Amino acid sequence: MPAVLPAVAEQLFRDIRKTYQETAQIPDDLLIALRFVFGACAVQALDLVDQRSVTCLSSPSGRKAFQVIGASGSLYTCFTSCHYCPCPAFAYTVLRRNDGLLCKHILAVCLCEAMGVTRMQSASDEQMTALLSGTLL
Amino acid sequence: MTDVLTHMFTNFMSRADSSKDLKVIPPAPAQCGVLVVGEQNLGRSVLLLAAVTAACRLSVKVVFFAQTQIQSLPVSLQKCVPSLSPESLKQIKFCYPRTLEELLQQVAGLHESTNTFPVPPSLIIVDRLEDFLRGPADESHGVEQSRAAHLSALLCDTATFLTGLLEQQTSSPAPCRVIASYKPKEQSGEFSVSDQVLDTLDRYFQVRCTLDQDRSYKAAAAGLQEVWHIYFSGTGITLDPCAEDTEVKPGLAQEWQLSIYPDGFMEFQLV
Repeated sequence: MPAVLPAVAEQLFRDIRKTYQETAQIPDDLLIALRFVFGACAVQALDLVDQRSVTCLSSPSGRKAFQVIGASGSLYTCFTSCHYCPCPAFAYTVLRRNDGLLCKHILAVCLCEAMGVTRMQSASDEQMTALLSGTLL
Repeated sequence: MTDVLTHMFTNFMSRADSSKDLKVIPPAPAQCGVLVVGEQNLGRSVLLLAAVTAACRLSVKVVFFAQTQIQSLPVSLQKCVPSLSPESLKQIKFCYPRTLEELLQQVAGLHESTNTFPVPPSLIIVDRLEDFLRGPADESHGVEQSRAAHLSALLCDTATFLTGLLEQQTSSPAPCRVIASYKPKEQSGEFSVSDQVLDTLDRYFQVRCTLDQDRSYKAAAAGLQEVWHIYFSGTGITLDPCAEDTEVKPGLAQEWQLSIYPDGFMEFQLV
């Protein structure tokens, strides 16, 4: 399975973006579709969205990364252009068992981006390097 | 990314094949990772040849990561490219991280201005991923898989970022490409078909370039030192960004044969 989303998932996020821009909410039919496509982690991801847990960090070079505060308070760094998360669920469910498209943290990133509710924060180039390499949490 | 390898194969084709009109199609940005799978020494030669081709013929900046230092160019490469210019070779920056952590830091740091000035790299090469990813013998497979995913995702994300910079800074932008080599674990003399690390790498590298040695009598009887079959496969091969439906890219050769002569000379033939 590739590290990019299938077309149906991409279309779902486009629909969410359009609807949220118009109505500031996600209607039931799109929530049901989310649950259908992504399974149980859809509800957990929506909780993270409600808690405004996703931050987009950017550095002077223009490089960006997402940071997600997990349910337990742990910080997870995710990339902007392909799917990876250092959380145990991504390692087990997505990579090892190939049983899910995303973990809840990556899904929360996608939802926050679609809804325009990602927090923004600056970092230095050196901090960004440490973040991306996993040496800075 | 197959465009750099196709350039390389085309430049070192046998004379019989050199008249064939091969299209070299630039890859779509999402298809810019190639994983070279096979024997380590040949894999390194292929990567070095790709680096030299990119630097000399495509005039792009290359970053080459390896755990073990390259003291000199392989004999096969010296035979293939006898007149390398020092100016062209300066386009290749060799980096020797000792551990996976160092490699991650160096790749993550490619966005910094010391690496993007005056121009960003257009080709990132990592030789022998297995050396960086390998852990203790009793380590869980899952840990190695996670490491493979982190490194691969970082390489892809870095290439995407550098592609954006290249589009802003150059008049004829092409995407930043990634090539890495990997030798799967062997079981009973055969590669393990269930190599979970390879499955993980396939998530992030859209194209696989397999190096498969021909050990048949025919190859030995031909008097050649070695004969290899080179196959391209993966989702990045079948998708043509210019086509409305999925189809094989026209002119993109998916199978090559590499002959290595006793004096080290390498010759590629289109199959």
